[in-house]
Amino acid sequence: MTRPYVPWLLLALALAAFYLFPLYWMYVTSLKSASEIYFNPPTFWPIAPDTSIYPQVWFGRTMSTFLWNSVVIATGVTTITVILGTGCAYVLARYRSVWVDVGLFLILMLQVLPASVMITPLFVGFNQVGLLNYPRTAVVLAAAAKAMPFFVVLVRATFMSVPRELEEAALVDGNSRVGAFFSIVLPLARNGILVCAILTFMSAFGEFIYSKSIIQEKSLQPASVGLSGFLGPNSSDWNSIMAYSAIYVTPILALFVLLQRRIVSGLTSGALK
Amino acid sequence: MSRIFNSMRDGVGFDLILVGAALLFLLALAGLPLVYNVLMSFQQVDMFTLGTLIRPWAGFTNYVDVVRQPEFWLVAKNTLIFVFASMAGQFVIGFSLALFFAQKFPGAATIRGLFLVSWVMPGLVVGAIWSWILAGDFGVLNTILKSLGIIQETVFWKSDPNYSIWAVVIANIWLGTAFNMLLLAVGLAAIPRDLYEAAELDGANAFQRFWTITLPMMRSTIGAVLSLGLIGTLQQFDLFPAITEGGPANTSSVAGYWSWQMSFQLYDFAKGATISVMMFLLVLFASVIYVRSTRHEVRG
Repeated sequence: MTRPYVPWLLLALALAAFYLFPLYWMYVTSLKSASEIYFNPPTFWPIAPDTSIYPQVWFGRTMSTFLWNSVVIATGVTTITVILGTGCAYVLARYRSVWVDVGLFLILMLQVLPASVMITPLFVGFNQVGLLNYPRTAVVLAAAAKAMPFFVVLVRATFMSVPRELEEAALVDGNSRVGAFFSIVLPLARNGILVCAILTFMSAFGEFIYSKSIIQEKSLQPASVGLSGFLGPNSSDWNSIMAYSAIYVTPILALFVLLQRRIVSGLTSGALK
Repeated sequence: MSRIFNSMRDGVGFDLILVGAALLFLLALAGLPLVYNVLMSFQQVDMFTLGTLIRPWAGFTNYVDVVRQPEFWLVAKNTLIFVFASMAGQFVIGFSLALFFAQKFPGAATIRGLFLVSWVMPGLVVGAIWSWILAGDFGVLNTILKSLGIIQETVFWKSDPNYSIWAVVIANIWLGTAFNMLLLAVGLAAIPRDLYEAAELDGANAFQRFWTITLPMMRSTIGAVLSLGLIGTLQQFDLFPAITEGGPANTSSVAGYWSWQMSFQLYDFAKGATISVMMFLLVLFASVIYVRSTRHEVRG
Protein backbone atom coordinates (compact mmCIF):
# COMPACT_ATOMS: atom_id res chain seq x y z
CA MET A 1 0.00 0.00 0.00
CA THR A 2 1.67 3.21 -1.10
CA ARG A 3 0.34 6.55 -0.04
CA PRO A 4 0.79 9.81 -1.86
CA TYR A 5 3.54 11.36 0.20
CA VAL A 6 3.82 14.81 -1.33
CA PRO A 7 1.13 16.41 0.85
CA TRP A 8 2.74 14.87 3.94
CA LEU A 9 6.10 16.25 2.98
CA LEU A 10 4.66 19.71 2.33
CA LEU A 11 2.84 19.66 5.65
CA ALA A 12 6.04 18.55 7.40
CA LEU A 13 8.00 21.38 5.83
CA ALA A 14 5.30 23.87 6.79
CA LEU A 15 5.39 22.66 10.39
CA ALA A 16 9.17 22.92 10.50
CA ALA A 17 9.05 26.42 9.01
CA PHE A 18 6.46 27.46 11.61
CA TYR A 19 8.49 25.97 14.42
CA LEU A 20 11.75 27.53 13.29
CA PHE A 21 10.21 30.97 12.74
CA PRO A 22 11.94 32.42 15.85
CA LEU A 23 15.30 31.63 14.29
CA TYR A 24 14.28 33.30 11.05
CA TRP A 25 13.08 36.29 13.03
CA MET A 26 16.44 36.57 14.78
CA TYR A 27 18.35 36.73 11.50
CA VAL A 28 15.86 39.05 9.80
CA THR A 29 15.78 41.48 12.71
CA SER A 30 19.56 41.66 12.79
CA LEU A 31 19.52 42.83 9.15
CA LYS A 32 17.05 45.66 9.76
CA SER A 33 17.95 49.25 10.43
CA ALA A 34 17.42 50.79 13.86
CA SER A 35 14.21 52.50 12.72
CA GLU A 36 12.82 49.62 10.72
CA ILE A 37 12.66 47.34 13.75
CA TYR A 38 9.96 49.68 15.13
CA PHE A 39 7.73 49.56 12.06
CA ASN A 40 4.18 48.67 12.94
CA PRO A 41 3.18 46.25 11.47
CA PRO A 42 6.68 44.77 11.26
CA THR A 43 8.21 43.99 7.88
CA PHE A 44 8.77 40.28 7.29
CA TRP A 45 11.69 40.97 5.01
CA PRO A 46 14.07 43.91 5.58
CA ILE A 47 13.60 46.82 3.16
CA ALA A 48 17.33 47.30 2.77
CA PRO A 49 19.24 44.38 4.33
CA ASP A 50 22.20 45.83 6.14
CA THR A 51 24.97 43.76 7.68
CA SER A 52 26.93 46.68 9.13
CA ILE A 53 25.49 45.93 12.57
CA TYR A 54 27.55 42.76 12.75
CA PRO A 55 31.06 44.29 12.91
CA GLN A 56 29.63 47.04 15.09
CA VAL A 57 28.32 44.54 17.66
CA TRP A 58 31.40 42.33 17.35
CA PHE A 59 33.79 45.13 18.24
CA GLY A 60 31.49 47.34 20.32
CA ARG A 61 30.56 44.46 22.62
CA THR A 62 34.07 42.89 22.69
CA MET A 63 32.53 39.68 21.48
CA SER A 64 35.86 38.05 20.73
CA THR A 65 36.73 38.10 24.44
CA PHE A 66 33.31 36.81 25.46
CA LEU A 67 33.31 34.03 22.89
CA TRP A 68 36.85 33.03 23.79
CA ASN A 69 35.81 32.69 27.43
CA SER A 70 32.83 30.59 26.35
CA VAL A 71 35.17 28.32 24.41
CA VAL A 72 37.56 28.04 27.37
CA ILE A 73 34.76 27.17 29.77
CA ALA A 74 33.08 24.74 27.38
CA THR A 75 36.40 23.02 26.63
CA GLY A 76 37.17 22.64 30.32
CA VAL A 77 33.73 21.26 31.09
CA THR A 78 33.89 18.83 28.18
CA THR A 79 37.38 17.61 29.09
CA ILE A 80 36.52 16.89 32.70
CA THR A 81 33.18 15.34 31.80
CA VAL A 82 34.61 13.06 29.13
CA ILE A 83 37.61 11.88 31.15
CA LEU A 84 35.72 11.17 34.35
CA GLY A 85 32.37 10.29 32.83
CA THR A 86 33.55 7.76 30.25
CA GLY A 87 35.21 5.48 32.78
CA CYS A 88 32.24 5.71 35.11
CA ALA A 89 29.80 4.89 32.30
CA TYR A 90 31.93 1.92 31.25
CA VAL A 91 31.93 0.36 34.70
CA LEU A 92 28.21 0.97 35.14
CA ALA A 93 27.56 -0.69 31.78
CA ARG A 94 29.81 -3.68 32.43
CA TYR A 95 28.36 -4.98 35.66
CA ARG A 96 24.92 -5.74 36.95
CA SER A 97 24.62 -5.69 40.69
CA VAL A 98 22.88 -3.89 43.49
CA TRP A 99 25.81 -1.48 43.69
CA VAL A 100 25.51 -0.55 40.04
CA ASP A 101 21.82 0.13 40.60
CA VAL A 102 22.66 2.30 43.59
CA GLY A 103 25.29 4.18 41.58
CA LEU A 104 22.90 4.73 38.69
CA PHE A 105 20.20 5.88 41.06
CA LEU A 106 22.55 8.44 42.63
CA ILE A 107 23.57 9.68 39.20
CA LEU A 108 19.97 9.99 38.06
CA MET A 109 19.24 11.97 41.20
CA LEU A 110 22.13 14.32 40.49
CA GLN A 111 20.91 14.74 36.93
CA VAL A 112 17.73 16.32 38.19
CA LEU A 113 19.22 18.94 40.51
CA PRO A 114 18.43 22.38 39.10
CA ALA A 115 21.37 24.72 38.74
CA SER A 116 19.40 27.36 40.60
CA VAL A 117 19.27 25.04 43.62
CA MET A 118 23.00 24.35 43.49
CA ILE A 119 24.34 27.83 42.88
CA THR A 120 23.81 29.25 46.37
CA PRO A 121 25.74 26.54 48.27
CA LEU A 122 28.34 26.30 45.49
CA PHE A 123 29.00 30.03 45.61
CA VAL A 124 29.31 30.14 49.39
CA GLY A 125 31.45 26.99 49.39
CA PHE A 126 33.74 28.23 46.62
CA ASN A 127 34.08 31.47 48.52
CA GLN A 128 35.27 29.57 51.61
CA VAL A 129 37.87 27.47 49.80
CA GLY A 130 39.10 30.47 47.82
CA LEU A 131 38.04 29.22 44.40
CA LEU A 132 36.28 32.49 43.64
CA ASN A 133 39.70 33.94 42.88
CA TYR A 134 39.79 31.60 39.89
CA PRO A 135 36.27 32.25 38.66
CA ARG A 136 36.50 30.43 35.32
CA THR A 137 37.90 27.31 37.00
CA ALA A 138 35.10 27.48 39.54
CA VAL A 139 32.49 27.68 36.76
CA VAL A 140 34.13 24.79 34.90
CA LEU A 141 34.04 22.58 37.99
CA ALA A 142 30.43 23.45 38.81
CA ALA A 143 29.21 23.04 35.23
CA ALA A 144 31.10 19.76 34.76
CA ALA A 145 29.34 18.32 37.80
CA LYS A 146 26.07 19.45 36.24
CA ALA A 147 26.85 17.95 32.82
CA MET A 148 28.33 14.65 33.93
CA PRO A 149 25.22 12.67 34.98
CA PHE A 150 23.55 13.18 31.60
CA PHE A 151 26.79 12.23 29.83
CA VAL A 152 27.17 9.07 31.92
CA VAL A 153 23.61 7.95 31.22
CA LEU A 154 24.03 8.43 27.46
CA VAL A 155 27.53 6.94 27.17
CA ARG A 156 26.55 3.98 29.30
CA ALA A 157 23.99 3.09 26.63
CA THR A 158 26.79 3.20 24.04
CA PHE A 159 28.97 0.85 26.06
CA MET A 160 26.05 -1.55 26.50
CA SER A 161 25.96 -1.96 22.72
CA VAL A 162 29.65 -2.97 22.57
CA PRO A 163 29.69 -6.80 22.55
CA ARG A 164 31.16 -8.21 25.77
CA GLU A 165 32.67 -11.12 23.78
CA LEU A 166 35.16 -8.83 22.05
CA GLU A 167 36.55 -7.60 25.34
CA GLU A 168 36.63 -11.13 26.75
CA ALA A 169 38.48 -12.36 23.68
CA ALA A 170 41.10 -9.67 24.19
CA LEU A 171 41.49 -10.71 27.83
CA VAL A 172 41.89 -14.36 26.83
CA ASP A 173 44.55 -13.31 24.33
CA GLY A 174 46.57 -11.91 27.19
CA ASN A 175 45.53 -8.26 27.25
CA SER A 176 45.27 -6.62 30.64
CA ARG A 177 42.04 -4.90 31.63
CA VAL A 178 43.64 -1.55 30.93
CA GLY A 179 44.86 -2.73 27.55
CA ALA A 180 41.49 -4.20 26.57
CA PHE A 181 39.72 -1.03 27.64
CA PHE A 182 41.93 1.28 25.63
CA SER A 183 42.49 -0.85 22.53
CA ILE A 184 39.12 -2.63 22.16
CA VAL A 185 36.28 -1.05 24.11
CA LEU A 186 37.09 2.63 23.70
CA PRO A 187 37.62 2.53 19.90
CA LEU A 188 34.33 0.67 19.47
CA ALA A 189 32.43 3.21 21.53
CA ARG A 190 34.26 6.18 20.04
CA ASN A 191 31.39 7.54 17.96
CA GLY A 192 28.90 7.51 20.79
CA ILE A 193 31.35 9.19 23.13
CA LEU A 194 32.13 11.81 20.52
CA VAL A 195 28.47 12.70 20.01
CA CYS A 196 27.90 13.01 23.75
CA ALA A 197 31.05 15.10 24.08
CA ILE A 198 29.74 17.46 21.40
CA LEU A 199 26.38 17.72 23.18
CA THR A 200 28.19 18.49 26.42
CA PHE A 201 30.27 21.13 24.67
CA MET A 202 27.18 22.76 23.15
CA SER A 203 25.33 23.02 26.41
CA ALA A 204 28.41 24.29 28.27
CA PHE A 205 28.92 26.85 25.50
CA GLY A 206 25.54 28.35 26.44
CA GLU A 207 26.01 28.02 30.21
CA PHE A 208 24.64 31.07 32.00
CA ILE A 209 23.62 30.88 35.64
CA TYR A 210 26.94 29.73 37.14
CA SER A 211 28.98 32.21 35.09
CA LYS A 212 26.59 35.05 35.86
CA SER A 213 26.77 34.39 39.59
CA ILE A 214 30.46 33.53 39.94
CA ILE A 215 32.38 35.59 37.37
CA GLN A 216 32.38 39.26 38.26
CA GLU A 217 35.28 40.42 36.12
CA LYS A 218 34.09 41.40 32.66
CA SER A 219 37.15 40.17 30.79
CA LEU A 220 36.55 36.63 32.06
CA GLN A 221 32.82 36.39 31.36
CA PRO A 222 31.41 34.10 28.65
CA ALA A 223 29.14 35.21 25.80
CA SER A 224 25.92 34.37 27.65
CA VAL A 225 26.75 36.81 30.44
CA GLY A 226 27.81 39.35 27.82
CA LEU A 227 24.40 39.05 26.21
CA SER A 228 22.59 39.43 29.52
CA GLY A 229 24.43 42.72 29.99
CA PHE A 230 22.19 44.47 27.49
CA LEU A 231 19.13 42.26 27.62
CA GLY A 232 16.18 42.79 29.89
CA PRO A 233 12.49 43.61 29.95
CA ASN A 234 13.23 47.16 28.83
CA SER A 235 15.73 46.45 26.06
CA SER A 236 15.40 48.59 22.99
CA ASP A 237 18.28 48.01 20.56
CA TRP A 238 16.83 44.77 19.32
CA ASN A 239 18.77 44.64 16.09
CA SER A 240 22.08 44.54 17.94
CA ILE A 241 20.74 42.00 20.44
CA MET A 242 19.65 39.81 17.54
CA ALA A 243 22.98 40.28 15.76
CA TYR A 244 24.80 39.31 18.95
CA SER A 245 22.55 36.25 19.30
CA ALA A 246 23.10 35.33 15.66
CA ILE A 247 26.88 35.46 16.00
CA TYR A 248 26.62 33.44 19.19
CA VAL A 249 24.38 30.63 17.94
CA THR A 250 25.34 30.28 14.28
CA PRO A 251 28.41 28.09 15.01
CA ILE A 252 26.29 25.84 17.25
CA LEU A 253 23.53 25.62 14.66
CA ALA A 254 26.02 24.80 11.89
CA LEU A 255 27.60 22.07 14.01
CA PHE A 256 24.18 20.69 14.83
CA VAL A 257 22.95 20.60 11.24
CA LEU A 258 26.19 18.89 10.14
CA LEU A 259 25.97 16.22 12.82
CA GLN A 260 22.20 16.08 13.13
CA ARG A 261 21.76 12.43 12.21
CA ARG A 262 24.39 11.24 14.66
CA ILE A 263 23.26 13.47 17.48
CA VAL A 264 19.67 12.34 17.14
CA SER A 265 20.60 8.66 17.03
CA GLY A 266 22.99 9.07 19.97
CA LEU A 267 20.28 10.73 22.02
CA THR A 268 17.57 8.26 21.17
CA SER A 269 19.71 5.26 22.05
CA GLY A 270 20.52 6.54 25.49
CA ALA A 271 17.95 8.94 26.77
CA LEU A 272 15.08 6.51 26.93
CA LYS A 273 16.79 3.19 26.43
CA MET B 1 52.16 -3.02 46.92
CA SER B 2 52.62 -4.71 43.58
CA ARG B 3 49.40 -6.63 44.15
CA ILE B 4 47.52 -3.36 44.47
CA PHE B 5 49.17 -2.08 41.32
CA ASN B 6 48.29 -5.27 39.46
CA SER B 7 44.70 -5.04 40.54
CA MET B 8 44.60 -1.48 39.27
CA ARG B 9 45.95 -2.61 35.93
CA ASP B 10 44.17 -5.89 35.53
CA GLY B 11 41.45 -6.39 38.09
CA VAL B 12 38.62 -4.94 40.07
CA GLY B 13 40.88 -2.07 41.09
CA PHE B 14 40.63 -0.73 37.57
CA ASP B 15 36.84 -0.53 37.79
CA LEU B 16 36.98 1.00 41.24
CA ILE B 17 39.31 3.76 40.06
CA LEU B 18 37.17 4.58 37.04
CA VAL B 19 33.92 4.75 38.93
CA GLY B 20 35.48 6.16 42.08
CA ALA B 21 37.03 9.18 40.41
CA ALA B 22 33.74 10.24 38.88
CA LEU B 23 31.74 9.60 42.04
CA LEU B 24 34.22 11.50 44.20
CA PHE B 25 34.03 14.45 41.84
CA LEU B 26 30.23 14.39 41.88
CA LEU B 27 30.19 13.95 45.63
CA ALA B 28 32.42 16.99 46.12
CA LEU B 29 30.61 19.27 43.69
CA ALA B 30 27.02 18.09 43.93
CA GLY B 31 26.57 15.99 47.06
CA LEU B 32 28.40 18.24 49.50
CA PRO B 33 26.77 21.47 48.27
CA LEU B 34 23.39 19.83 48.67
CA VAL B 35 24.09 18.98 52.31
CA TYR B 36 25.65 22.38 52.85
CA ASN B 37 22.51 23.98 51.42
CA VAL B 38 20.34 22.26 54.00
CA LEU B 39 22.77 23.31 56.72
CA MET B 40 22.69 26.95 55.58
CA SER B 41 18.92 26.99 55.58
CA PHE B 42 19.07 26.45 59.35
CA GLN B 43 21.73 29.10 59.97
CA GLN B 44 21.95 32.87 60.08
CA VAL B 45 24.02 33.81 57.07
CA ASP B 46 25.13 37.36 56.48
CA MET B 47 28.13 39.16 55.07
CA PHE B 48 30.08 38.69 58.31
CA THR B 49 29.52 34.95 58.65
CA LEU B 50 29.73 34.17 54.94
CA GLY B 51 33.30 32.92 55.22
CA THR B 52 32.87 30.60 58.18
CA LEU B 53 31.24 27.24 58.55
CA ILE B 54 30.01 27.67 62.12
CA ARG B 55 27.27 30.27 62.12
CA PRO B 56 24.57 31.14 64.63
CA TRP B 57 21.86 28.48 64.57
CA ALA B 58 18.56 29.79 63.32
CA GLY B 59 16.28 26.80 63.60
CA PHE B 60 13.26 27.18 61.38
CA THR B 61 13.43 30.99 61.37
CA ASN B 62 14.46 31.10 57.74
CA TYR B 63 11.60 28.85 56.71
CA VAL B 64 9.10 30.93 58.63
CA ASP B 65 10.53 34.12 57.13
CA VAL B 66 10.37 32.78 53.58
CA VAL B 67 6.75 31.70 53.95
CA ARG B 68 5.89 35.10 55.47
CA GLN B 69 7.39 36.98 52.54
CA PRO B 70 4.53 38.82 50.83
CA GLU B 71 5.44 37.28 47.47
CA PHE B 72 5.69 33.68 48.72
CA TRP B 73 2.24 32.51 47.62
CA LEU B 74 2.49 34.43 44.36
CA VAL B 75 5.77 32.70 43.53
CA ALA B 76 4.35 29.32 44.55
CA LYS B 77 1.35 29.87 42.29
CA ASN B 78 3.60 30.99 39.43
CA THR B 79 5.81 27.94 39.85
CA LEU B 80 2.78 25.67 39.58
CA ILE B 81 1.44 27.52 36.54
CA PHE B 82 4.84 27.51 34.90
CA VAL B 83 5.46 23.83 35.55
CA PHE B 84 2.07 22.46 34.58
CA ALA B 85 1.34 24.74 31.63
CA SER B 86 4.82 24.14 30.19
CA MET B 87 4.59 20.40 30.66
CA ALA B 88 1.11 20.20 29.16
CA GLY B 89 2.05 22.36 26.18
CA GLN B 90 5.32 20.56 25.50
CA PHE B 91 3.71 17.16 25.83
CA VAL B 92 0.62 17.77 23.71
CA ILE B 93 2.47 19.53 20.91
CA GLY B 94 5.39 17.11 21.13
CA PHE B 95 3.12 14.08 21.01
CA SER B 96 1.15 15.43 18.05
CA LEU B 97 4.36 16.10 16.15
CA ALA B 98 5.74 12.67 17.05
CA LEU B 99 2.57 11.00 15.76
CA PHE B 100 2.71 13.07 12.59
CA PHE B 101 6.35 12.23 11.89
CA ALA B 102 5.75 8.56 12.65
CA GLN B 103 3.95 8.41 9.30
CA LYS B 104 6.44 7.01 6.86
CA PHE B 105 7.30 9.55 4.21
CA PRO B 106 10.67 10.42 2.73
CA GLY B 107 12.59 13.01 4.67
CA ALA B 108 10.53 12.57 7.85
CA ALA B 109 13.55 11.77 10.03
CA THR B 110 15.62 14.65 8.69
CA ILE B 111 12.90 17.25 9.05
CA ARG B 112 12.09 15.97 12.51
CA GLY B 113 15.75 16.32 13.46
CA LEU B 114 15.68 20.01 12.52
CA PHE B 115 13.22 20.66 15.33
CA LEU B 116 15.94 19.83 17.83
CA VAL B 117 17.83 23.06 17.14
CA SER B 118 15.67 24.65 19.81
CA TRP B 119 17.18 22.24 22.27
CA VAL B 120 20.86 22.88 21.49
CA MET B 121 20.56 26.69 21.53
CA PRO B 122 21.74 28.57 24.62
CA GLY B 123 18.73 29.25 26.83
CA LEU B 124 19.57 32.92 27.08
CA VAL B 125 19.48 33.34 23.30
CA VAL B 126 16.11 31.58 23.12
CA GLY B 127 14.95 33.98 25.80
CA ALA B 128 16.28 36.98 23.87
CA ILE B 129 14.50 35.96 20.67
CA TRP B 130 11.20 35.31 22.42
CA SER B 131 11.53 38.50 24.38
CA TRP B 132 11.61 40.34 21.06
CA ILE B 133 8.80 38.30 19.50
CA LEU B 134 6.62 38.91 22.57
CA ALA B 135 7.35 42.66 22.76
CA GLY B 136 4.21 44.74 23.24
CA ASP B 137 3.99 47.41 20.57
CA PHE B 138 6.47 46.09 18.04
CA GLY B 139 6.38 42.35 18.71
CA VAL B 140 5.61 40.11 15.79
CA LEU B 141 3.39 37.76 17.82
CA ASN B 142 0.86 40.51 18.45
CA THR B 143 0.86 41.39 14.74
CA ILE B 144 0.23 37.78 13.74
CA LEU B 145 -2.49 37.23 16.33
CA LYS B 146 -4.20 40.47 15.33
CA SER B 147 -4.16 39.66 11.65
CA LEU B 148 -5.65 36.24 12.43
CA GLY B 149 -8.37 38.00 14.43
CA ILE B 150 -7.53 36.15 17.66
CA ILE B 151 -6.90 39.33 19.62
CA GLN B 152 -8.14 42.88 19.04
CA GLU B 153 -6.04 44.82 21.53
CA THR B 154 -2.29 44.76 21.83
CA VAL B 155 -1.25 42.32 24.56
CA PHE B 156 1.68 43.47 26.65
CA TRP B 157 2.97 39.97 27.26
CA LYS B 158 5.97 40.95 29.34
CA SER B 159 4.68 43.92 31.33
CA ASP B 160 1.04 42.97 31.96
CA PRO B 161 0.89 41.18 35.33
CA ASN B 162 -1.85 38.91 33.98
CA TYR B 163 0.27 37.61 31.14
CA SER B 164 3.91 37.90 32.23
CA ILE B 165 4.21 34.31 33.47
CA TRP B 166 2.59 33.12 30.24
CA ALA B 167 5.25 34.91 28.21
CA VAL B 168 7.87 32.68 29.82
CA VAL B 169 5.61 29.63 29.48
CA ILE B 170 5.28 30.19 25.72
CA ALA B 171 9.05 30.42 25.30
CA ASN B 172 9.56 27.35 27.47
CA ILE B 173 7.03 25.31 25.49
CA TRP B 174 8.93 26.17 22.32
CA LEU B 175 12.18 25.20 23.97
CA GLY B 176 11.05 21.82 25.29
CA THR B 177 8.68 20.58 22.60
CA ALA B 178 11.41 19.16 20.39
CA PHE B 179 12.94 17.02 23.11
CA ASN B 180 9.53 15.68 24.11
CA MET B 181 8.82 14.89 20.49
CA LEU B 182 12.09 13.01 20.05
CA LEU B 183 11.63 10.84 23.13
CA LEU B 184 8.01 10.09 22.25
CA ALA B 185 9.04 9.22 18.69
CA VAL B 186 11.45 6.62 20.08
CA GLY B 187 8.60 5.11 22.07
CA LEU B 188 6.32 5.10 19.03
CA ALA B 189 8.94 3.38 16.89
CA ALA B 190 9.19 0.57 19.41
CA ILE B 191 5.53 -0.47 19.05
CA PRO B 192 5.34 -3.58 16.83
CA ARG B 193 3.73 -2.79 13.48
CA ASP B 194 1.70 -6.01 13.34
CA LEU B 195 -0.43 -4.85 16.26
CA TYR B 196 -1.75 -2.05 14.09
CA GLU B 197 -2.22 -4.35 11.11
CA ALA B 198 -4.17 -6.81 13.21
CA ALA B 199 -6.35 -4.03 14.59
CA GLU B 200 -6.94 -2.68 11.12
CA LEU B 201 -8.05 -6.12 9.91
CA ASP B 202 -10.44 -6.26 12.84
CA GLY B 203 -11.91 -2.98 11.65
CA ALA B 204 -10.59 -0.59 14.33
CA ASN B 205 -10.55 3.03 13.19
CA ALA B 206 -7.62 5.38 13.68
CA PHE B 207 -8.94 6.77 16.97
CA GLN B 208 -9.58 3.29 18.37
CA ARG B 209 -6.11 2.18 17.33
CA PHE B 210 -4.60 5.17 19.11
CA TRP B 211 -6.68 4.63 22.24
CA THR B 212 -6.28 0.86 22.54
CA ILE B 213 -2.77 0.30 21.15
CA THR B 214 -0.65 3.45 21.10
CA LEU B 215 -1.53 4.84 24.52
CA PRO B 216 -1.26 1.57 26.48
CA MET B 217 1.97 0.59 24.72
CA MET B 218 3.46 4.01 25.40
CA ARG B 219 2.62 4.07 29.08
CA SER B 220 6.15 3.83 30.46
CA THR B 221 7.51 6.21 27.80
CA ILE B 222 4.84 8.76 28.62
CA GLY B 223 5.63 8.46 32.31
CA ALA B 224 9.31 9.04 31.69
CA VAL B 225 8.69 11.94 29.28
CA LEU B 226 6.31 13.68 31.67
CA SER B 227 8.70 13.38 34.58
CA LEU B 228 11.63 14.50 32.45
CA GLY B 229 9.47 17.44 31.38
CA LEU B 230 8.77 18.26 35.02
CA ILE B 231 12.47 18.07 35.84
CA GLY B 232 13.46 20.10 32.79
CA THR B 233 10.91 22.78 33.60
CA LEU B 234 12.08 23.04 37.20
CA GLN B 235 15.63 23.41 35.89
CA GLN B 236 14.68 26.26 33.59
CA PHE B 237 16.36 29.46 34.62
CA ASP B 238 17.80 31.30 31.62
CA LEU B 239 14.45 32.36 30.19
CA PHE B 240 13.56 34.41 33.25
CA PRO B 241 16.44 36.90 33.23
CA ALA B 242 16.09 37.16 29.45
CA ILE B 243 12.36 37.81 29.22
CA THR B 244 10.85 39.34 32.35
CA GLU B 245 13.42 39.25 35.16
CA GLY B 246 10.60 37.87 37.29
CA GLY B 247 8.64 41.09 36.99
CA PRO B 248 6.50 43.07 36.97
CA ALA B 249 6.25 42.88 40.77
CA ASN B 250 7.21 39.18 40.91
CA THR B 251 4.21 38.16 38.80
CA SER B 252 6.45 35.98 36.64
CA SER B 253 8.94 34.81 39.25
CA VAL B 254 9.26 31.11 40.02
CA ALA B 255 11.02 29.34 42.89
CA GLY B 256 14.36 28.87 41.11
CA TYR B 257 14.62 32.46 39.99
CA TRP B 258 13.39 33.81 43.31
CA SER B 259 16.02 31.79 45.15
CA TRP B 260 18.73 33.17 42.88
CA GLN B 261 17.48 36.73 43.38
CA MET B 262 17.56 36.27 47.16
CA SER B 263 21.17 35.09 47.07
CA PHE B 264 22.69 37.16 44.32
CA GLN B 265 20.69 40.36 44.18
CA LEU B 266 19.67 40.80 47.81
CA TYR B 267 22.67 38.83 49.19
CA ASP B 268 20.38 37.01 51.61
CA PHE B 269 22.06 33.63 51.20
CA ALA B 270 20.13 32.00 54.03
CA LYS B 271 16.78 32.71 52.39
CA GLY B 272 18.17 31.72 49.00
CA ALA B 273 19.30 28.40 50.46
CA THR B 274 15.95 27.92 52.19
CA ILE B 275 13.98 28.43 48.99
CA SER B 276 16.23 26.07 47.13
CA VAL B 277 15.80 23.40 49.79
CA MET B 278 12.04 23.73 49.31
CA MET B 279 12.50 23.46 45.59
CA PHE B 280 14.76 20.47 45.99
CA LEU B 281 11.96 18.65 47.79
CA LEU B 282 9.76 19.28 44.76
CA VAL B 283 12.47 17.97 42.42
CA LEU B 284 12.91 14.93 44.64
CA PHE B 285 9.24 14.16 44.22
CA ALA B 286 9.56 14.46 40.44
CA SER B 287 12.62 12.28 40.26
CA VAL B 288 11.02 9.51 42.29
CA ILE B 289 8.37 9.33 39.57
CA TYR B 290 11.08 9.46 36.92
CA VAL B 291 13.14 6.67 38.45
CA ARG B 292 10.04 4.54 38.96
CA SER B 293 8.99 4.91 35.36
CA THR B 294 12.43 4.09 33.96
CA ARG B 295 13.41 1.53 36.56
CA HIS B 296 12.92 -1.58 34.49
CA GLU B 297 14.71 0.02 31.56
CA VAL B 298 17.66 1.09 33.65
CA ARG B 299 18.36 -2.50 34.57
CA GLY B 300 18.07 -3.27 30.85
